Amino acid sequence: MKISRYWLFLLVGVILVGIVLMSPVLAQEKMVRMALKASDIRSLDPHFGTTTIDYACIDPMFNGLVRFKPGDIDPDKIQPDLAERWERSKDGLVWTFYLRKGVKFHKGYGELTAEDVKFSLEKAANKATSGFAADYSALDKVEVIDKYTVRLTFKSAIPSVLGILTNYHGGYIVSKKAVEERGDKFKFDPIGTGPFMLSEYVPKEKVAEVRNPDYFRGKAKLDRIEFWFMPDASSREMAFRNNEIDIVEGEREQAWVNKMRQVPGTTMEIFGPGELLVLFFNTTKKPLDDIRVRKAMSYAINVKELMTFLGPDVTEKLVSPIPMDYLGGTDKVPHYEFNPTKTKQLLAEAGYPKGFDLPMVMTEMSDYRRPMEQIQEQLRRVGINLKMDVITHSAYHEQIRKDVDPLVLYVCARFPVADSLLTQFYYSKSIVGTPTAITNFSHYNKIDDLIEKARVETDPNKQKALWAEAQVKIMEDAVAVPLCITKFVFAKKNYVDLGYDLKSTLTLSPNINETTDIRKK
Amino acid sequence: MLKYTIRRIVLVLPTLWAVVTVVFFLIRIVPGGPAVAALGSYATEESIKELEKKMGLDRPILVQYGSFLKDLCRGELGKSLITNKPLSAEIAKALPYTLDLTFGGMLIGIVLGIPIGILTAVKRNRLPDYVGRILSLVGISMPEFYLGILLMFIFSIKLGIFPVLGGGNFNVLSSRLYHLALPALTLGLIMTAFISRMVRSSMLNVLREDYVRTARAKGLHERVVIYKHALRNALIPTVTVIGIYMSILMGGSVLTEIIFSRPGLGKMMVFAVKDRDYIALQSVIIVFSSFVFLFNLLTDLLYGIIDPRIEYR
Repeated sequence: MKISRYWLFLLVGVILVGIVLMSPVLAQEKMVRMALKASDIRSLDPHFGTTTIDYACIDPMFNGLVRFKPGDIDPDKIQPDLAERWERSKDGLVWTFYLRKGVKFHKGYGELTAEDVKFSLEKAANKATSGFAADYSALDKVEVIDKYTVRLTFKSAIPSVLGILTNYHGGYIVSKKAVEERGDKFKFDPIGTGPFMLSEYVPKEKVAEVRNPDYFRGKAKLDRIEFWFMPDASSREMAFRNNEIDIVEGEREQAWVNKMRQVPGTTMEIFGPGELLVLFFNTTKKPLDDIRVRKAMSYAINVKELMTFLGPDVTEKLVSPIPMDYLGGTDKVPHYEFNPTKTKQLLAEAGYPKGFDLPMVMTEMSDYRRPMEQIQEQLRRVGINLKMDVITHSAYHEQIRKDVDPLVLYVCARFPVADSLLTQFYYSKSIVGTPTAITNFSHYNKIDDLIEKARVETDPNKQKALWAEAQVKIMEDAVAVPLCITKFVFAKKNYVDLGYDLKSTLTLSPNINETTDIRKK
Repeated sequence: MLKYTIRRIVLVLPTLWAVVTVVFFLIRIVPGGPAVAALGSYATEESIKELEKKMGLDRPILVQYGSFLKDLCRGELGKSLITNKPLSAEIAKALPYTLDLTFGGMLIGIVLGIPIGILTAVKRNRLPDYVGRILSLVGISMPEFYLGILLMFIFSIKLGIFPVLGGGNFNVLSSRLYHLALPALTLGLIMTAFISRMVRSSMLNVLREDYVRTARAKGLHERVVIYKHALRNALIPTVTVIGIYMSILMGGSVLTEIIFSRPGLGKMMVFAVKDRDYIALQSVIIVFSSFVFLFNLLTDLLYGIIDPRIEYR
């Protein structure tokens, strides 16, 4: 029988597909694949990485002089890392670190010495070579005492010296030789001392890392880790359900948590420090220049209702501008419990018995938009009409820094010390629209002295007392409404053993380290 | 034909210039810049300004435009504002995946669409025709991202046949095809709907022609009448449309690459818009536009080959 050419061609095609389907499965490496809500990395140079995906990829490749206890960002539990011990002068201005011997950089870049530490810290403190230089503004000099000893001298005391030397942001130690050799290329081909080293970076797709055979804490249990860039939530979820991804970044919504709990073999990882949701009042814009109006709005917001809406599993109460588990956080501050009657009373006193309209920009990003829509409804009930103009996320960050909006909702996580939040959001030098602006959207300038005193205070109890006083003042002046903390939500396959209890992490995703392992599937 | 081809190639330059100029100015009007996108929530006013200076965005817009055109004339696509890596290398890595997806989708569309179109034309107003037309209507109406997720759910999650993730190892054919199958099927099924309708319509016209009646009257087998006499003429308008569809397919790759987390130009373009990476966006659009032109040119030339009545001057 004569077979037409067309059907012959189709048959060949089907056979080809069959060959593809029968392709042997890749050799069984012990590998963990994590999918994150990101389009690409910004930088693998730890002194420039600022996004969740950057942190996730950077952390397994680098160490600091000290480190957070894995799974816990309590600053009181900081442990030795590349430094095995340290000494500090009585005034807290001179710190001497004694390095571990025999720590090797990846890919034959030699042993870690004090020169690398000096180079790394000077790099971290330099605006041209680090995005975190401001954290090191008090650092005066770094001296190499001998091959394994380095001395840091500060111009003035800072709230937490160990905090800026941890395995986070500018605290990561890089190879001096590799940075000098690779120049700009270091950003996408870095060299550290961590349990994993870079194997492959495919733009817009993934970063792959392989075990560092020379890691000083012993070989990692995993052969390989892959970080996949998957901004689409459905794709991430499908890949997780299909066992192509072992750990997946989720949506910070109760509905997602409940749905993923139904997937067999899944553990939910819900951890801190979480992101603070705070609503800032621009005290230079009418009618928010009137403290009665600000207090009225604070009484109008029903935080319990907001937290129920966002999800009880994914939110935590925030009563003060500084969370309780930050160093210096306190709950002994004035509260504005939900009280719409009081709202109406205060509005009437301020001359707005029927309420008023208020414009604001809002980002399309759901972490911001969803809670703000709830707040919009709550304010509407008391006659305050919020007119939200929804724009893209990067446009939002640009707009709010232009000091145009009377109201700004901000969602962020910071180093867990009161000073970081107080300085960035409530210090006069950080006021938006000024040359030294960071994120003081309220234009608040009434606690500068408390912030400055606390920064240089060497007695921890007095320091905490100053921070507490600052928080009380912020709440009394009603310049911001602390709403809640939304925790980070990841789903993990049961066969992935992180190797530690995950309570909180500054990488904002479950850390993969030398103790992470795959149990039998 | 050669003169015509050269003339067409030369004429594309002003078109490309117009496209790139519009994109250049349009994206800069929109609020939100790459410095803020790059620095994220740690952006201080000072650091934003410093990064903008480093990116050359503090210069007057016409100076930036002139500099951009100068680099383009030298064949330089520039560096990404976000990663500072040469874009030609990034595009060279991403382009093969997009071309794979485009050609794969078109191949499936042709392989399935032409026979279905023929069947529905030949069995007009009977059950195969009704089924074929309903399915093609569904295919045309369904957005590719929805179809992609649906296919992913059926073939990856439920049946476990195909992966959902990535482009595979491009240098290993089996891995490359394995990861291409489902995304190509997504675009291919939509193409099947378009092509089958086009073929059906053309075939119906051609089957009414006198020469077809003559061929049947001469006692030729129906298969010979359809495939040898009717189909070739029916394919002429279909080939024209396929060229246009190739350009649509390249555009369709955008969402498909995101759903399937495949590397590719479409994904690069979306992220460039999101990050306000002006240089990357411009470069990707230049490459896309060049391929649209190429597909249109090839279609015109193929048209001339298939239909000997066509003469190019």
